[in-house]
Amino acid sequence: MATTATKTIDFAAERALAKDFLANFAGPRGEPKYLNILQDVANRKIRAVQIELDDLFHYKDADDEFLQRVTENTKRYIGIFADAIDELMPESTEAYAVDEDRDILMTQRVDEGADGGADGTDPLQRMPPEIRRFFEVYIKAFSKVTPLTIRQVKASNIGQLVKISGIVTRCSDVKPLMQVAVYTCEECGFEIYQEVTARVFMPLFECPSQRCKLNKAKGNLILQLRASKFLKFQEVKLQELAEHVPKGHIPRSLTVHLRGELTRKVAPGDVVEMSGIFLPMPYYGFRAMRAGLVADTYLESMSITHFKKKYEEYELKGDEQEQIDRLAEDGDIYNKLARSLAPEIFGHEDVKKALLLLLVGAPHRKLTDGMKIRGDLHICLMGDPGVAKSQLLKHIINVAPRGVYTTGRGSSGVGLTAAVQKDPVTNEFVLEGGALVLADMGICAIDEFDKMEESDRTAIHEVMEQQTVSIAKAGITTSLNARTAVLAAANPAWGRYDMRRTPAENINLPPALLSRFDLLWLILDRADMETDLEMARHVVHVHQNLESPALGAYISAARRVVPSVPRELEEYIATAYSSIRQEEAKSNAPHSYTTIRTLLSILRISIALARLRFSETVAQSDVDEALRLMQMSKYSLYSDDRQRSGLDAISDIYSILRDEAARTNSMDVRYAHALNLISRKGYSEAQLKECLEEYASLNVWQIHPNTFDIHFIDA
Amino acid sequence: MVGPQYDLVGNPLGAVRSTFERAAAESGGHEPVAAFRGKDWGATEVFRSFLFEQGGLDKVPVLDESNLGLIKPNTLVRFRGMVQDMLGNEFYVGAFKDGSTWRTNKFSDSSPFSMPHPCDSHLWERHLFHCVPVPGQNSWTRESSPGPDLRRIASCFTSEQREKRKRGADNDAMDVSESGSGETSSSSKKTLADWESDLNCLTFPQKDDGVRISNSSVEMSMNEEHHVPEMNGGDHHIPGSSFSCLVKVYDMPESQVKLNDVSEFIGVYTFDPELAAPNDNSDDIMFDLMEDITAQLPPSKVPRLHCLVWRNLSAHDFLPRPPAVEPSPILLRGIRQSLLSHFTLVLGKDELAAQCLLLHLLSRLRNKVDVVTVGRLSLNFTGFNRESVSIFGNQLNNLFQRLLPYSQVIPLSIKYLNTATLQPRKDNQSGRLVTGVLQLPQGTHLTFDETLLQSGSLTSKGVKNTMLLKNLMESQKVEYDFEFYKLEMATDVQLLILSEGKSNILPSDLIVPFRPSSVPAVNASSEELESWRWYLATVRSLPQSTETDTYQMIQDEMVNAMRDDRSLGCSELSRWLTMAQIMAASFGEKSLSMEHWQMVKELERLRKERLQ
Repeated sequence: MATTATKTIDFAAERALAKDFLANFAGPRGEPKYLNILQDVANRKIRAVQIELDDLFHYKDADDEFLQRVTENTKRYIGIFADAIDELMPESTEAYAVDEDRDILMTQRVDEGADGGADGTDPLQRMPPEIRRFFEVYIKAFSKVTPLTIRQVKASNIGQLVKISGIVTRCSDVKPLMQVAVYTCEECGFEIYQEVTARVFMPLFECPSQRCKLNKAKGNLILQLRASKFLKFQEVKLQELAEHVPKGHIPRSLTVHLRGELTRKVAPGDVVEMSGIFLPMPYYGFRAMRAGLVADTYLESMSITHFKKKYEEYELKGDEQEQIDRLAEDGDIYNKLARSLAPEIFGHEDVKKALLLLLVGAPHRKLTDGMKIRGDLHICLMGDPGVAKSQLLKHIINVAPRGVYTTGRGSSGVGLTAAVQKDPVTNEFVLEGGALVLADMGICAIDEFDKMEESDRTAIHEVMEQQTVSIAKAGITTSLNARTAVLAAANPAWGRYDMRRTPAENINLPPALLSRFDLLWLILDRADMETDLEMARHVVHVHQNLESPALGAYISAARRVVPSVPRELEEYIATAYSSIRQEEAKSNAPHSYTTIRTLLSILRISIALARLRFSETVAQSDVDEALRLMQMSKYSLYSDDRQRSGLDAISDIYSILRDEAARTNSMDVRYAHALNLISRKGYSEAQLKECLEEYASLNVWQIHPNTFDIHFIDA
Repeated sequence: MVGPQYDLVGNPLGAVRSTFERAAAESGGHEPVAAFRGKDWGATEVFRSFLFEQGGLDKVPVLDESNLGLIKPNTLVRFRGMVQDMLGNEFYVGAFKDGSTWRTNKFSDSSPFSMPHPCDSHLWERHLFHCVPVPGQNSWTRESSPGPDLRRIASCFTSEQREKRKRGADNDAMDVSESGSGETSSSSKKTLADWESDLNCLTFPQKDDGVRISNSSVEMSMNEEHHVPEMNGGDHHIPGSSFSCLVKVYDMPESQVKLNDVSEFIGVYTFDPELAAPNDNSDDIMFDLMEDITAQLPPSKVPRLHCLVWRNLSAHDFLPRPPAVEPSPILLRGIRQSLLSHFTLVLGKDELAAQCLLLHLLSRLRNKVDVVTVGRLSLNFTGFNRESVSIFGNQLNNLFQRLLPYSQVIPLSIKYLNTATLQPRKDNQSGRLVTGVLQLPQGTHLTFDETLLQSGSLTSKGVKNTMLLKNLMESQKVEYDFEFYKLEMATDVQLLILSEGKSNILPSDLIVPFRPSSVPAVNASSEELESWRWYLATVRSLPQSTETDTYQMIQDEMVNAMRDDRSLGCSELSRWLTMAQIMAASFGEKSLSMEHWQMVKELERLRKERLQ
C-alpha cells in the first residue's frame, strides 16, 4: 500500500540505469546477453525477457542500491525495464510471418498516427506502449537464495521480490486478461485506448476525443476485442511442503498469479520453487465494503522451477545445528547414533551400525571416461519371521528424508521399477515410475525381497549396480534414474532358518543378486541370558530417558562431506583385500565370492564412516571398522557353519573369545560374558573351562582365580 | 496504569484506541506507528491486569451457542474451544493516518472512522483460528466457568455506554458514533456504528425500552437488506453447521497455539451487519482461487473474536475452585481408595478390572520419539456381550462423562467403519480442514464398543479407518490427509475397548477378562465427584522422577521374570514398568518404589490367571 510513499524515485534516471545494464551486460562468454534476447524478441522467437538478479548483481557497474530498489519495489521496476527495452528494441533481422491481426493493426495505427497527430494531446488517444510490446518482462530472484516457506512471507515482504517453495494444490483454467482495451468511436472513427491495470475496469461509453467533444457528438464507443491486447492468466494455489510445517500446525496456502508465458507450467502435485512479487489486492466495490479493512494477498509469479527434494537440501530447524555440533564433538557418535536408530528394537548393534552407514552412504563417483560408480550402500537383512526386520525397515524410512517402503510383491501394476501405462482419459501411453524410481536420491526399503516378481528381479540387477531403470515398452525406450540405496528384508527359503542346511540353501536369492549387496545380515531369534539383561536394560532406559538426537539433521549434514582415500591407505586396503581373497582360496568350501565388488564395498563403508566423523579423509580406523562389519556380517551367516568345519571345540571357543576381545577393544572378557558367548554357539561350560585352562597354560591369557575372568596377555 | 479509564468489558476498543493514541503520541517521529507492527503498545497489558489481577475475568461473559445473539458487538467476551483449523494469516490495515492523527484498526473488523483515500497506512497481519467447542466435552466442565448473567450485564453495558458517550460528547472522534445513538437515529446517513446500535435494539427488544427509542422502520429495512435475523434465529442448529468461532489472534509467535489445543480466548466480539451480508454477487469471475475462506464462515453464524488475551486450558482449569491444598500423598491415598471402591461397584465388584481401569485412566503419554511411545496404557475388557455392554458399558460411559473433561464412545460396527469419517482431511477446494472423528484434543478418552462388530466385508474406506485406529492405538498418531501428502499429528488419547474376545483390530496394551459378580450399583455425591475429578487431574499432571536405584532393581527383576517365562517380550516388560509408574503416581508418590512394582506384579499374576 504505502510502503514506497516515503521515497520518490527518479524514473528517468532509473530507466537510464536499466538501459545501461541491458545494453552492456556481458554473459559468461562476453556476449551481450540481453541484447541477444531482445534480438530474439524482435524476431518473434521468444516473448519472455527474464532479467536475473544474479546478472544485475554481477554487472560490472553494479549499484547495490539499485539492486535493493529493484527487489523492494519490483512491480514498478518491471515497468521501468519494459520502457528501457522499448528504447533498446532492435529491428528484426529475420523475416517472420505476418499472421497476427495485431501486426496488421499496428501498421495501420502507425500510418494513422502519422497523419492524425493533431489530436495527440488526448491521453486516451495516445497509443499506450503496452499495446506495441511483444514481450513480457520478468525479474528472477537470486538463484542462490534459500527459498522462504509460505509461513515466512510476512506483511513486511509486501511489494518485494520473494522466493518461496511449495506444492501446487490447485490450478485454475487459463483465461484471457485484458491489458489494453481498444475502442472505436462511431462518430469520429478514432481508436481510443484504455489501459487496464486493475482487475476490474469500467468500460468507456462516450468518446473522449477532441473532435467528439467539440462537436458535442457523444460518440458511441465500441469495444474492439480483436484489437485489444490480452494476456494469458492463470491462478495457482501453493501449499507449504510437509517438512516445512512445524509440529502441531497445518500447512499454509498462498495464491499465485501466473501471467503470459508462465501459464500452464505447473500441475497439481508439483513441487516448485517460485520467485514472485508479494502483493496485496485491494478490494473493489461491494466487496471492499464487505471485507472491511482486510486485504487479500497473492504472489505475482516471476519464475518457476520444478525441483526434487534431496537429503542435502534438508533444512536445519531451530537448534539442530547446535545439536549436530554437540554430537560431532562427542567422540562416540558412531555408537550413539547407531543405538538411537529404532530404539524400540533392542540389540542388533552391528545391524544398526550398518543401517546408519546405509543412511549416510558414500558419494557417487563419475570417472573421466563417463563410468559411474555408485556410492549407495545396499544391505539385505535375512531372518526368521518376527525378528523386527520390517520394523527396522520402516524406521529407516522414517528417518530418511526421502524414503519409499514397499514389498517385493509389488503393490500395483507399476511394481518396483517402472511401467508403461495407458492413460484411461487420453488413451496415451504414460511412463510411471515404480518404488525404486520414486526413491531416486533416497532409500528404497523392500520387504519380502525374496518374494519379488520375476520381472522386477531382473530389473533390480540394473538398479543396484548401474542405478538406472531401462524401459523398452510400447514404443517407449528410456532410462530412468534410480540412484537409490536398497535396503532389503528377506525370509529364509523355508520360512524359518534351517540350521541343518547351508546358508546358501537358506538364502533364497541368486548369487548374482546377493553379490550386489554390500552387507548381508542374518538375524536369528535366539534367546539367552545376555539378551535378557540387555532387553531389561533397554526397557528401563526407554522409560527413563527417551530422547531423539537430531539424527536426520546429522545424517544430512554428514552427507555433504566428500571424503577421499589418502594414498598411504591404498596399500593397506589392497593388502586387506588380498588377504580375504587368499583366505577364501585356502578354504575348500568358500561361503562367499570375494570379488572386486567387495573391494568397492570396503571403500564405500569406509567413506561412509569418515563422513560420520565429518572428516575429509578416510582413516585407517574407518577401514578397520569396515572390514570388521563385513566380517561380522559374514559371521552372522556362517558362524554355525564354522562349527562344523573341522575346528575343534576348544580352538573355536578360543577364537570366539579372541573375536570378542577384539570387538570390544579390550583385553578383558568377563567369565559370565564368555559363558554367554559360547553357549550361544552351543558349547557347554565344561568345554569353556577346558579351553581356559589349556590356553592359560600357553600363556595366552590369565584367568582370575576367583571370578575366572579372562585377561589377554598380549594385544 | 491506575484503574481503567474505560469500561474494559463494555467498550474494550475504546481502551485499545486510547492506549494507541497515547503510544503514538509518545513515539513521535516521522513514522510514529511503524514500530507497532507485530508488537503490543501496551493495550493487552491493561486487559491482562484487569482480568487476572483485578478479578475482571468473572465479569466477562462466555460466548457460546446459547447466547450468540444476545451478546452485544464490540464488547469483551470469553470463548473456550479447540483450535480446529488454522486459516493462516490475514492482512489488514492496521493503522492509517486520518488527517494528522494516526488511527488503529487492531482488534476490530472495521473502523468507526472513515478512511480517507488515499492515505498513509500500514498493513499488519493477524492469525486466524477456527475454533469449535471441544469434541466430546462433558457437561460438568461447563458449570465451572459460568459467565455473569447476560441479560443483567447487557442492561448495565448500555447504561454504562451512555455515560461514556456523555463524557465523550466534546470529543470529535466520538461524533460519528454519537449520531447513531438512539435519540437521533432518524438520521438518513447511516454509518457502521448506526447499524451496530440499531442491532442492539433488535437483540434486546424486550428490555431497555426507556433507554432507546426503537426505530421500527430501520429495523425493517435492516431485516430486508442484510438478513440480520439469522443472527437471532437458531439456524446454527441445522446439522452440519454447529457453533464455531473465528478467533483472530495478534502478535503471537507462531508456535504458541497448536492445532487441537484447548484454549480460552478473551477478546472483542465483533459483528457488523454490513460485513455479514451474504456475498451474493460474484464480482470476481476472474479469480477462482482468490476466494476468501472467511466467506464460508458467515459472521451471522460464526462469531468473530479479536483476541486480546489467551491461555491454554488443562484439565485443572475445568475444576470449579481448585483446592489450594498441596496434593499430599495422604490426601491422594484417601481419594484413591474411594475412587477405586466406586470403580469396583460400577464394575460389578470386579476388583481387578477396577484396578486396571484406574491405571488406565491415569495413564498419559509421557514421551514419544518417532513411533516409540512411553506412558500410554490402552485397556481391553474382554468377555462382554451385547447385554452386558448395555449394562456395564453404559455405566462406564456415565462414569467417564462425569469424571473426565472429554470422552467419547465409538460403536465399532462394520457399518461404522465403512461410513464414518475418522480422518481429518484438507479440502483444497475450500481451503479448509474438514474435521474427522479422530481430530481430538490431548487427553481425550475414547471407548470402543466392539461387541457390535459382526463378520462382514470392509470397503476401502473401512480398511483405511481400521488402519487409522490401529495407528492411533500403537503409536498415538493420527495421519491427516492433505491430498498431496499426509501429515502426522501427535495425539494423547486414552483408549478403552469393550469386546467379546481379545480385540485384534485394536490391539491394546492391557487385556483384562471382565468378571462381574453383581449388577452395578452406583451412587456418588457431587462432592465425591468433585474430589475424584481433582484427583484424576492432579495425578495425571504429577511430575515423575526417574531415579536410578529402583530401576536397577527392577531391571534385575525383569531378567528373572524372563528366565521364568520365555515368552515375555519387550512390550510386556515395558507395560509393567508403565503400570508401576502409574501405580506410584496414583498414590501421589513422585518416584517409583519396589512396593509399587510388586503390586503391579501381583495384578499381573491375577490377570494371567484369568487369561488361562
